[in-house]
Amino acid sequence: MPKYAMVIDLQRCVGCGACSIACRNENNVSEGIYWSNKITETSGTFPNVRFHYLPTLCNHCSNPPCARGCPTKAMHKLDNGITMHDPDKCIGCRYCMYNCPYEVIYFNWENPHKFWKDGRPVINGGTSSPKEVAQTVNGGNGTPYSNPERAQTLPENRSKGIVEKCTFCDHRINVGKIPYCAVACPADARVFGDLEKPDSKVNELLGKYKPYRLKERLGTQPNVYYIRSFNPAHYKPTKGGV
Amino acid sequence: MKAIKIQLWYGLLGLGILLGLITAYRVFTTGFVLYAKTDILVWTMPIAAYVFFSLTSSGLAFVSSIPVVFGVKRYQALEKRTVFLEIAVLFAAFTCLFLHLGSPWNVYYYLFSPNFASPLWWLGMLYGLYLIVILLSFRKIQAGNVSRGLGIFTFIIAIATSTALGWLFGLPDARPVFSATFLAMYLPLTGFASALAAVIVFSLGYHHFAQNPLSEEDKNLYEDLSKVFGFVVALTLVFFIWRTIVGGASATAVEFGGFRHMLGSGWYHLALWVGLIIPLAMIAAPSVRQAGWGKVTSAVLFLVGMFAGRLEMVLSGLVMPTGPKAEGQPPFVSYWPTIWEVFVFVFALAVLLLVYTIGERHFKLSETPE
Repeated sequence: MPKYAMVIDLQRCVGCGACSIACRNENNVSEGIYWSNKITETSGTFPNVRFHYLPTLCNHCSNPPCARGCPTKAMHKLDNGITMHDPDKCIGCRYCMYNCPYEVIYFNWENPHKFWKDGRPVINGGTSSPKEVAQTVNGGNGTPYSNPERAQTLPENRSKGIVEKCTFCDHRINVGKIPYCAVACPADARVFGDLEKPDSKVNELLGKYKPYRLKERLGTQPNVYYIRSFNPAHYKPTKGGV
Repeated sequence: MKAIKIQLWYGLLGLGILLGLITAYRVFTTGFVLYAKTDILVWTMPIAAYVFFSLTSSGLAFVSSIPVVFGVKRYQALEKRTVFLEIAVLFAAFTCLFLHLGSPWNVYYYLFSPNFASPLWWLGMLYGLYLIVILLSFRKIQAGNVSRGLGIFTFIIAIATSTALGWLFGLPDARPVFSATFLAMYLPLTGFASALAAVIVFSLGYHHFAQNPLSEEDKNLYEDLSKVFGFVVALTLVFFIWRTIVGGASATAVEFGGFRHMLGSGWYHLALWVGLIIPLAMIAAPSVRQAGWGKVTSAVLFLVGMFAGRLEMVLSGLVMPTGPKAEGQPPFVSYWPTIWEVFVFVFALAVLLLVYTIGERHFKLSETPE
């Protein structure tokens, strides 16, 4: 049985956000919800200042606090290591959000894709309303650009009152493809693979560089690894004496 | 005149329930955007109200066990009212929980897809069992006798529910402000204190509104009860102060930032001053403690403060955004309940008072079972 993992090479990552856009398109993610996200921070004071960018997604932990706390096993582990969510069993208690130390689970506070349910035209008498546009494409189900392939393992659009999160694009993995964020990355910063295969690319990278995972001290054993970092800055060698 | 007052009372409770039903309709059609919840504040006033009511119900089981389990017979006079209050308060807790859950109709998966590792699953099952046992207990009492076996069982379940709530809050290692071992002591203790306050308010309230003067025996009993209440409030204050010192003053981990922030909030000060210090000062003064108004006022103030304390406790682990959800957010997010969240509390309170009023009118709660 495979055990899937992702290695994110921060030396290659340019912080373009293509992963997040691709994720939204592939998984029909609604406004305000981020299966693929980022942590940014600025360090230093101008002119000695830097911007740091860390892409984030569900870590598909081997010891997931979200699944441990879920009372109905709506949040559960698949045999291939993916942390999956079953919306039919979700009672909307948000205990998984409370337990997740990585803040990567989102709740549908209202019906998704609200914009595309708006019956008011942008220009009165001049344009169609978002609702009319959505109606002509797929019967008003979600957005006009909704991806029907997502419906293979999850509802195409999740409903209000339940949580949702990254699934490593399990519907793509099932047909031999890789997560769409990895496909869309223009810098090949995301490498997806099977940790059970000794010669897989993920194992090669984990052996070659010193990887780290987020909040490892919590014992959650994330399966998203980070390697290297990008920093073109340099300075003149000095002892720093006063 | 009396009939008009009762009709007015029922009308008021009906209004509270109507507001609650409108809230339920709006929440389940429009969504939880009606609440002041965000991706950071995932739990707010409805869950704090649930904690408040459910712990009070568990605490009432401790009070009802004083005569039944520990054989202190003079408390037998409180037994029937206390057990009925357990039921009424638990209904209020379930009302809050119902309006907290996004998809409450899926709860049947508790039976078909149980997760034994989840404190939330255990809590759900235990409270379900608790409801059945207290309904059976009351049926026995209504028939005129008390079942010691059911009393012991209720006592054990009440310990399990109130301590399991500590496990529930303390499960995530990423939120050390919720210490499971601390909460497993603090929550049953404060539940017991809330229950004593509730028994004082409802019992003396009954004597006042029914114009039924207290006998000398009753006076001694309530004097005794208010002393026990004062002792438990003092213990609560000690735990409250230690929580403040450990989590607020001496902790250095960044995860305690939310609690340190809450130390400056109105909720915290309401819990400390209105809920603990003022009631304790009132009970410590013999002339105030012995007066009926003194007992009821200190108990009501404690309950108000305890509700604020439950909210402060829930918020203290959530107000500091972390990870990707901290993007574009201030270091601490602020919270003020929306009118819909207030209606959830009003709904729960109306359910409690309606069930209790029906019990008081039809089940003679002042009777002492054998």
